[in-house]
Amino acid sequence: MKRGFWIAYILLLMAQLLLSNYFHVTPYIFLTILPVMVLCIPIRVGTVGAMFIACLSGLVIDFLSEGVIGLNALALIPVAYARNGIIGLIFGPELFARKEDFSIGRCGFGKVAVALFLSLLIFLVVYIWADGAGTRPLWFNGLRLAASLGASFVVSLLTLGVLAPDPRK
Amino acid sequence: MRGRGILHKIVNLVIFIILEIAMLHLVTNSADLQRIWVARGSHAFMGTVWGGTESVRNYFTLSAENKKLAKENDQLQQELALAKQRLRQARIDTTQTDRHPGYTLTPAEVVKISRNKQHNYLILNRGYEDGIQEKSGIVTSHGVVGIIDAVSEHHAFALSLQNHDISISARIGEEGGSGILVWDGIHSNGALLKEIPLQYHYQPGDTVYTSGHSLLFPPDIPLGVAGDSRVINGATNEITITLFQDFSSVRYVTVVHNDSFDEIEGFKE
Repeated sequence: MKRGFWIAYILLLMAQLLLSNYFHVTPYIFLTILPVMVLCIPIRVGTVGAMFIACLSGLVIDFLSEGVIGLNALALIPVAYARNGIIGLIFGPELFARKEDFSIGRCGFGKVAVALFLSLLIFLVVYIWADGAGTRPLWFNGLRLAASLGASFVVSLLTLGVLAPDPRK
Repeated sequence: MRGRGILHKIVNLVIFIILEIAMLHLVTNSADLQRIWVARGSHAFMGTVWGGTESVRNYFTLSAENKKLAKENDQLQQELALAKQRLRQARIDTTQTDRHPGYTLTPAEVVKISRNKQHNYLILNRGYEDGIQEKSGIVTSHGVVGIIDAVSEHHAFALSLQNHDISISARIGEEGGSGILVWDGIHSNGALLKEIPLQYHYQPGDTVYTSGHSLLFPPDIPLGVAGDSRVINGATNEITITLFQDFSSVRYVTVVHNDSFDEIEGFKE
């Protein structure tokens, strides 16, 4: 188990609360670090545990920020469900066999970036689709997805150092 | 080990679905926009899936629907026959030249039919209890099917037109010559119209009707269309006929019995 992971997780949850409440620059950008948080949950927690943690995390953000209750949780649970699949696909089954967590130092930046990208993509597709509720045109949703994906990807990379530190350092 | 893995995956999937449904429920209760969206999706699903199952259900009730239509068809044929009879009667009343007998029509269902023999037969679900008599014809809206050969209490055994033992009197065209129609013994819808005198001209594609000379069938029932012909012994034409009746799908038929059959047969004795 990564040392201090859960403290960092709770702190980042609070950071997400601040982002959700105060970061309203443009309707095209929705900034989120929740997918990277779920992706970095230790492997030994398992899929069911990760889904419950994701659900709880999403609900906390939904309840405590100005949003539709259940929306973040709705989008975050699929990330938790697909988490093991993404990790197995990109990093290989060795991580599961050794019960080790991934990090940029151990797995390389490219692989971690792809895993992060996929997690964000799953989250944002569900979030933007449900948030629009069929009222927004496709071009708007597409643009929002692309802008949010880019912005959230950069912010999530910054949090990786906290959630998945290099064990060799 | 592998079984446990699959079980794990199923449990994960079930929990995932439950959590997603719960969250969707929360979302729809939280915002009107999302509630309308989910309701619209739900209605679209119901329309597609339940509408589809309704089509499937309709398919399985086709048998009952067919019976109903067959009954209705027979009723209409009865009415048509009655109307024709009245028309003939009206003509007789004015000209006093001819008199045609009426026919009794009884709807029946084919319970067994053979098709791949040289002497094919069929069994109907009507017997003498239902008024069926021997030497009655069997017809459908597509032509002649056969002739009743034996009758029991609730069933009738009939010789199919696809049987070398039966022949019916037929006429080519509206005013053409009459001959004997028999199965060609090869094709399911093939027949031969024999003994057509050479003086009668016809064109391939002309319709062949029952002549009404046999007492078994009312006249003017379309049977098929004429094809090629050949001269037999320099005296008569033999014409190949393509029948309208598809014997592979025959199920609902009408038994026709000439009301004057016994009276006319009595003259022969």
